[in-house]
Amino acid sequence: MSDAPVPGAAAAHTPRRPALERLPLLLLGFIALFVGTAAGLARLAWPMPDVASGAAAWHGPLMICGFFGVVISLERAVALGRGWAYAAPLFAGLGTAALLHGGMAWAPLGYLAGSIVLLLATLAVLRRQREGFVVVLAAAAACWTIGTALWAGGAAVHEVVAWWLAFLVLTIAGERLELSRFMPPSPLALRTFTVIVAVLGLALLPSLAPGRPAAVWGLHAFGAALLALAGWLLRHDIARRTVRQRGLTRYIAVCLLSGYGWLALGAAIVAVSGLQPGTATYDAALHALLLGFVFSMVFGHAPIIFPAVLRVAVPYHPVFYAPLALLQASLALRLAGDAVGALAVTRWGALGSALALLAFVVVTATAVLTSSSARPRRRAR
Amino acid sequence: MTTPSEDDVRDALSRVVDPEAGVNIVDLGLVYGIEVSPSGVQVQMTMTSAACPMAEMIVDNVYAELAAVLPANLSADVELVWDPPWTPDRMSEVARTLFGWQRSG
Repeated sequence: MSDAPVPGAAAAHTPRRPALERLPLLLLGFIALFVGTAAGLARLAWPMPDVASGAAAWHGPLMICGFFGVVISLERAVALGRGWAYAAPLFAGLGTAALLHGGMAWAPLGYLAGSIVLLLATLAVLRRQREGFVVVLAAAAACWTIGTALWAGGAAVHEVVAWWLAFLVLTIAGERLELSRFMPPSPLALRTFTVIVAVLGLALLPSLAPGRPAAVWGLHAFGAALLALAGWLLRHDIARRTVRQRGLTRYIAVCLLSGYGWLALGAAIVAVSGLQPGTATYDAALHALLLGFVFSMVFGHAPIIFPAVLRVAVPYHPVFYAPLALLQASLALRLAGDAVGALAVTRWGALGSALALLAFVVVTATAVLTSSSARPRRRAR
Repeated sequence: MTTPSEDDVRDALSRVVDPEAGVNIVDLGLVYGIEVSPSGVQVQMTMTSAACPMAEMIVDNVYAELAAVLPANLSADVELVWDPPWTPDRMSEVARTLFGWQRSG
């Protein structure tokens, strides 16, 4: 029938148990999250331990390659169910270890190797399921590879950050395109999605030659494509419907819809101002996109990704909304500070966002540890 | 416990919910086939996405629900297949209404 393995087949005879062998890979991701976040605070002159202040220059690579890269490639490996695919989070995690240990010498190569394995794993998924959304996921992985290859070749982080943004945004867009099939978009809507993604990719090409005027205009077009993508997703995402449900399903939808708001705002800033390093608009755009959009997505999906990756239950609790609310409020504060040029306000906003991430980790871990049963929680209709 | 009917098995499977959609796997059209034989129950099902790590968890949940309705001497076997691919046409009327499909569509 299919050459696909049958995940969970062994569960027919053995009780479900946590997949703790995957925990070290996830921890590599969370080390990058913690150190990367602290490194970001150190950049805003919050007093931080040496390991974080010493990594202040690597805030972006730690968050994008070290955290998101590891988490995304780990969940892709779980989905594919092939041992070799776990090399992706392992390589990326080793990249983080190298970055914290010795700086630039080996770290980009670790991340680059991880991105290539993620790309191969996604192509293996594509062989199993020939659908447009898997092509989008593969394009996303390719963007991670290209951006990291440029960085390994000596480009500055700000010169490759648009590629890394495309990696994350397209990964999420691909997953949401897949889920939109529950309320199928029309053929015209699907063509529109294809055009938006194509423009987004083409807009990045001039940045292969940084410093040219075309690279600057490319970034404005990139922002415009992101804005169009935000509009498409807001229009076609099942979250519009599932937000009317209850419990976990509604919580996920609220995370998504608030994330799309930040995607639209961040995209609009990039469309107008580009990505000029060292400016307030650069700080505002990147953090609207990464904290507001990508992390809202992470918050929403942790209660289903943790059970999937570690095979532990994360029972839904309304307290999940607290870190999400803190994230939204602190990010709004940060962008307000950016808008009026008040660095002190931006600093406090950043600290609030770091606390939101910490609260998210604590709330999720508490939910796992206090869940009464090793069995997954199911809700009857 | 007596041997369950196909409908009993379908009812058990409809207690497995895709948390993202908030809809159970039967109404989503993910269950392709149920076969009840003297030796056990075979279920053929699919997922909407081969890139989604939730497959393993959902299959685990299916086994857990089957174990709750099967007598001890019957085995459960869940096969995950990708062919034929899932399409939205497989969704039930209940699921379509929930996602706002037009009645004629």
